[in-house]
Amino acid sequence: MSAATIAGGSRQPRFSTKQKLLAILGIYVLGIVVIGVLAGGGSRNASYEPQNEFKLENWVPIHLAGVDFSITKAVMYLLIAATLTCVSMIYIARRMRQRPNRVQTAVEMIFNLLRENIVAGNMDKKMAARWFPFIATLFLFILFSNLIGYIPLPTNIEHKISVFGLQIPSFSLYAATANLSIPLVLALVVFIAYTTEGIRAKGPLGYLKGLIPAGVSGGMAVPIFILEILSNLMRLLSLSIRLFANVLAGHLLILFMSGALAVLLGVAALGWFTLPLGIALFAFEVTLVAALQAFIFATLTAIYLAGAVADHH
Amino acid sequence: MLASHIPLASSGNFLVKPGIGLMIWTLLVFGITLVLLARLAFPRITEALDKRQKAIEDSIDSAERTREEADKILAEYRERLQEARGQADEIVQSARQMGETHEREAKEQAKELASDAAQRAQRDIEAATQRALQELRREVADLTIAATEKVTRKTLDSADQKRLVEEALSELDFSGVSGSSQN
Repeated sequence: MSAATIAGGSRQPRFSTKQKLLAILGIYVLGIVVIGVLAGGGSRNASYEPQNEFKLENWVPIHLAGVDFSITKAVMYLLIAATLTCVSMIYIARRMRQRPNRVQTAVEMIFNLLRENIVAGNMDKKMAARWFPFIATLFLFILFSNLIGYIPLPTNIEHKISVFGLQIPSFSLYAATANLSIPLVLALVVFIAYTTEGIRAKGPLGYLKGLIPAGVSGGMAVPIFILEILSNLMRLLSLSIRLFANVLAGHLLILFMSGALAVLLGVAALGWFTLPLGIALFAFEVTLVAALQAFIFATLTAIYLAGAVADHH
Repeated sequence: MLASHIPLASSGNFLVKPGIGLMIWTLLVFGITLVLLARLAFPRITEALDKRQKAIEDSIDSAERTREEADKILAEYRERLQEARGQADEIVQSARQMGETHEREAKEQAKELASDAAQRAQRDIEAATQRALQELRREVADLTIAATEKVTRKTLDSADQKRLVEEALSELDFSGVSGSSQN
């Protein structure tokens, strides 16, 4: 029996997983070398400014009473996020079935997470019923904003690409939540919401008194009261900057790893080298950071609301 | 090294500078989203989830109820079976007793009948013996009278003769003839 018949008769795959992985690694290393030799180390690119990826141009200038209401990339992303949130949720709400399909099951899981863990886990039943829509909308709105931020959309009018003679803006990543204004407004709304709730529950003086932790009295009460007021205002910053900085940093990392670094330094091989990192970061941001940040924002909102009406915090 | 080429600090401050217009846009968009979701989406989803929750609870309740019922029926059935078994035992017991009583009574009756029959037979035998003895006496008396007349050629007065003969006969012992009837 010859070796050929054995080889022909066996039904094993031609390459093992290990061999495939080695081949991919080989192509990767070879690519770096080839691009490095062919393109070489070019000059550094001084004109490219990566932060301009996040710059807002006035697409439709609107000025009312001295305030700039112009439609920008951020406004467009806001509108897309809001539309997607409303359309998908209302669509799912309208076709709720007793026996759910996969999408409904996923939405129900998120809904239950919001209802049971975030809202009902922090406040009593009556308060939970009142504040659930607010917290759920916050979560979904931030989640959708974060997620569409990872879909490349033709929004970069600084650089155009030609498609059959048609000049269309380059595709780029952006996120409404990567702009401080937007998380700041949401944090402000949360701040106003829990302060109002606290004052409604205890009265203005009672609420201010409630800021002083239990057991503190006498001379120490005054500085601690000031600290508590400051910490309340700091929540505004921590809430908004946590979201903003996470999303912005994620986008910058993806941007740099997926080519910006190579463009900036003029080393083409670097782009090939960092691309896998860019892909890995992209997956990490989409699967974890987007939902995690929305979850944190919603959970903190629930905790602040519950803390505002609690007897002592 | 990289920092000098990425002038974030010099021209990137728009990143952290809040714009009032954009903030109002955000407020507006978020507000509309909140109203739409709170009106059109959340109540329906909540309702559907609560309804399912209720349906699940109901079916668990009814399953429990059915099981309890089944348990009850099973217990009842077992009890009845036990009862029936007891009754059957009782029936068998009483039947056996009745049978035994019947048997005993029948035996006693048979015994009685047998002893009755024996007594009657005894009495018949005795009566027959008495009758035979009576007849024998008469025969013997007549024969004796006839023999005496032949010897004496004289006719005895019938009444005298008879008294004499019967006196003589009564002195005779017929115990040997009557046999077993005497005891």
